[in-house]
Amino acid sequence: MVTKEEVISKFKEAIINGNEEEAVKWAKESISIGLDAYEMITKYGGEAMEVISKMYEERKIFVPEVLLAANALTSAIEVLRPHIKVEKTKVPAKIVLGVVEGDIHDIGKNLVKIMLSSAGFEVIDLGRDVPLQKFVDVAKEVKADVIGMSALMSTTMPGMKKVIDMLKEAGIRDKVAVIVGGGPVTPEWAQSIGADARPKDASAAVGITKQLVEELRKRRGESW
Amino acid sequence: MVEMTPKKRALLCFTGNKHKADRISCCDALTTATVEQMLAVKAPFPDAHKDVELAYRLAEAAWTIIGLEGFKLPFDLCIEAEALGCKINWGRIDRHPSVETPAFNDISEFKIPEKIIEKGRFPIKHKVEEKLRREYGDYLPIVNQVTGPFTVAGHIFGIERFLIWTKKKPIEQIKEVLMMIADINVEDSKEALRCGADIICIADPSATSDIISPQFFKEVLVPVYRSISRRLGAPIVLHICGNATAYLPYIPDTEVDAFSVDTQVNIAFAKQILGNRVAVAGGVPTISALLFGTPETVRKAVIDAISQGVDVVMPSCGIPPRTPTANFRALVEATKCMIYV
Repeated sequence: MVTKEEVISKFKEAIINGNEEEAVKWAKESISIGLDAYEMITKYGGEAMEVISKMYEERKIFVPEVLLAANALTSAIEVLRPHIKVEKTKVPAKIVLGVVEGDIHDIGKNLVKIMLSSAGFEVIDLGRDVPLQKFVDVAKEVKADVIGMSALMSTTMPGMKKVIDMLKEAGIRDKVAVIVGGGPVTPEWAQSIGADARPKDASAAVGITKQLVEELRKRRGESW
Repeated sequence: MVEMTPKKRALLCFTGNKHKADRISCCDALTTATVEQMLAVKAPFPDAHKDVELAYRLAEAAWTIIGLEGFKLPFDLCIEAEALGCKINWGRIDRHPSVETPAFNDISEFKIPEKIIEKGRFPIKHKVEEKLRREYGDYLPIVNQVTGPFTVAGHIFGIERFLIWTKKKPIEQIKEVLMMIADINVEDSKEALRCGADIICIADPSATSDIISPQFFKEVLVPVYRSISRRLGAPIVLHICGNATAYLPYIPDTEVDAFSVDTQVNIAFAKQILGNRVAVAGGVPTISALLFGTPETVRKAVIDAISQGVDVVMPSCGIPPRTPTANFRALVEATKCMIYV
């Protein structure tokens, strides 16, 4: 008989090792012994991805290993999601995410998406090479709390500034928080274009986004 | 005294012989095209990617408008992917083409069409190179850029999928695919050299150390670049985006002549590591100096790069299309008045 602690630790280990089959197996096991599915995803899945983030930051592992871990977590989430108890009193924060126009490098964005979804955010993924106006239009349409933009090329980075300017023009800049990220995007650049934050990696994005949403909702309330 | 031709200067500087040149070269082996040049010579993106006459005019503008000491073709990184069957998004005047969909679902499907360099836009590139050589004789160097094998693999298979394969498939299979793409690079370059190109630039932006490990670079990519270097009798420049500092110790093993570095690589440090084995190109930040800076910011960056020992002054990466001509020209002007520090 395996203990809860063992299942949790095996589950995390499988994700960290990027072992999809094992991650799914221990996710199923966690349900059968009565562990909370929501907690498995947000807490333990999140913890495993934090380990991955830290290892990536220290360059002990690289993007291929991060992708394998993310794949393992995604498959585990598929198994766990149907078992989440529905008792949501709070409206989940909505984040519109995409890679700016001209840029097709979406690895970073996909990792942020996985991290944010596993932390309970509702992620509207616009994909890659997203026309700038679409960020604004979709944010309006879904009443987003946060817009997240990514760019991996110095040639496409300026698109981020344009989106922020378009939000201002549309008069909705104060309704949403804006986070930016991607290889060439420095915190100084983020600040200079008026973004709210430039999380240093996918796992940092979770904490920062939560904080931004809290501040934002305090300021403008739950509604738009 | 007769002035040294920009071609001779570039060949000396790119091969680590800058002290035999009269001064440092500012031949840009990366993208040279900007919107202001496109408008001035009436050869805008995306049409200029597909038409010999327009491409010729835009390539020439690097010299006639900016004063860069050399020509470089093509203007994008999608020629290989397109010829291999990827769908291309052509972009617009201020946006480079990008690959829209991969061409193959699995390595087993991968095959290279016969006479690939006669497909897609390879012939356009070679014709333009031929024409530039005819018009400019031996005065200015022509750089033929090839998209590096790792980036092309990302294009044709999808980068995420290919990265996962690097962990899941036998590494020999990955090496074989990259070597096959290297064959295309060689075939393309040989034809370019025949048409009059002088320098080959391997641009492999996806091979950045933000994505892959120095170990993968050393074990898998170094032999691929080396195989290209060994098969081509021309100076070779390798460009990798982002922080390539961790790759520096392995660069001499690629047997390229020059390594073009992005802003995250400290030039003085790179020079220390590479010594006189591989020249260092780059030095002018594309975003902070060229795109958003002033001519003064650019001049400072040039002086700084030269004092750190750079061998060829170039933008740190592909030039953003909206870069003002005044800033781009400042790169050339500052380089020209610097002899040696």
